[in-house]
Amino acid sequence: MSGLRLMGVQTLELARRSVVNERRQLLSVTPGLVFPLLLAAVYSQQFRRVLALPGFPEVDSFLDFVLPACVIQAVSFGATAAGSELALDIENGFLDRLLASPVARVPILLGRLGGSSVVAAIKTVIIIAVFLFFGAEVAGGPAAMLVIVGMSSLLVLAIGGIAQVMAIRTGSQEAVNACFPLIFVTIFMSSAFFPTNLMSGWFRVVAENNPLTWVIDPVRRLVIEGWATGDAVQALGLPAILAAATIGAALLSLRRRLAAP
Amino acid sequence: MTAVIEATGLERRFGDIVAVDGIDLRVDSGEIFGFLGPNGAGKSTVVRILTTLLRPTAGSASVGGFDLATRPGDIRRLIGVALQDAAIDPLMTGRELIRLQAVLHGISRNAVRTRGPELLERVGLTGAADRRVATYSGGMRRRLDLALALVHEPEILFLDEPTTGLDPTSRQALWEEVRRLNGEHGTTVFLTTQYLEEADQLADRIAIIDQGRLVREGTPTELKATVGAPTLRVEVGRDNVGTARTVLSEFGSERPALEGRAAIGLLDGAARVADVVRALDAAGVPLVHLELDAPSLDDVFADATGRRLEGATDPV
Repeated sequence: MSGLRLMGVQTLELARRSVVNERRQLLSVTPGLVFPLLLAAVYSQQFRRVLALPGFPEVDSFLDFVLPACVIQAVSFGATAAGSELALDIENGFLDRLLASPVARVPILLGRLGGSSVVAAIKTVIIIAVFLFFGAEVAGGPAAMLVIVGMSSLLVLAIGGIAQVMAIRTGSQEAVNACFPLIFVTIFMSSAFFPTNLMSGWFRVVAENNPLTWVIDPVRRLVIEGWATGDAVQALGLPAILAAATIGAALLSLRRRLAAP
Repeated sequence: MTAVIEATGLERRFGDIVAVDGIDLRVDSGEIFGFLGPNGAGKSTVVRILTTLLRPTAGSASVGGFDLATRPGDIRRLIGVALQDAAIDPLMTGRELIRLQAVLHGISRNAVRTRGPELLERVGLTGAADRRVATYSGGMRRRLDLALALVHEPEILFLDEPTTGLDPTSRQALWEEVRRLNGEHGTTVFLTTQYLEEADQLADRIAIIDQGRLVREGTPTELKATVGAPTLRVEVGRDNVGTARTVLSEFGSERPALEGRAAIGLLDGAARVADVVRALDAAGVPLVHLELDAPSLDDVFADATGRRLEGATDPV
């Protein structure tokens, strides 16, 4: 088997392990799906009158507006899991088993992230289905829905890469879990629940320069306004670039950890 | 004999702590090499270095002819490793883990289909193959760990304290499997242990490590021969130890003993036991208990370090 093909096979097998693990811990995965849906339900009731604000995007339902936020919240739950499970592998010695096998370092990281990515895609499909059931409309049609699924899969890699850096540096599951609120705060300090043009002061500056806003806004336009190739490219491209950067950082951290004298 | 593991001046520091202090090693192809020492002696650190998991601070080593510093990937293809804590994902089943380990080694799915059940049967886990590892006992985990280390039929097998915490039956079963692997497949086994009996029973050659340094090396027979005379131990009570030691010094050289006892390497063996008893009686030393042991690896360890290996790390 050639080196590259073996790496592919190893990555798939490790991703399979990750998916199997998540499936067997449904109780810990479910809140990551249910909580964002509940939040969306609450917000769509509370913020019904917000739709009338001048400058607010023209939508029939707050659900249309909040769909990207709901997906990203669900994704962030799964993304930290990729780091926290890696930390668990470090804590219980399973990582040593992998490192003593002829497996390259990339599949060890990508396998965990790949599993989370698959789970994120499934969660996103469920969220879209629930939103559609309760009356949301995706103006961009099935193609836009596919972009949302792809965006969530890529974004989980990007956030998961950060969580893996934390896991490798600390070797502690608790330390990784402790960083989850930061991700949550980052979501709230973006355009996830309110358009940036209606914000003011420093909060607006922060939100406008938050990379999540740069992902959420094109996705939202695909949902509200309809298909636009530029928005699709931005929605997929930015998470892809972020993922490449954070996975690269995780790989460097792993190399440094292994090379430490 | 060809050397499959060689180390020269191997050293590993953790800050100010020297865990491994300039070790030279040679393990020949097809032998079972026992690495014996108390907890914290540096055994696991040496294993982690030789299995490419840890870089040495100084020194060099080769495994299977490949240099540790430049060819770690080649070494990983050759070795099987069962580390001290039997690190196994508790959410997966035994069969799934065998498959995962096989795929990581590049073994084809067809080969896994036949080898997986064979391995599970060999370690007695066929009935539990589809149960999650979380439900396994400690012995079952150890056996699965061994099976995982054998998936790719390694030439060199590293077992780090494989029987620690196992009941006697599971320990015997694991010993038999190690002997079988070595006998039938010629697998070289590098085994660390803190159990004297295990080293004595299994190993062709033994290296004793203490505080990061090798203190003795040889076959069990050679090592015991270095101690020479059998050990005579007398229990006389704390107040009489001094007198007993003086009396015993006429019959051989002093050896470490527990509090309230004295011990010597008895020159001329059992024939002089009666003389010792008479001499103690004449000196007014009340004898509570007396025992004569043929030289053991514990005597070898005590002779080399001044401490007993079994049951205590304090001087005895």
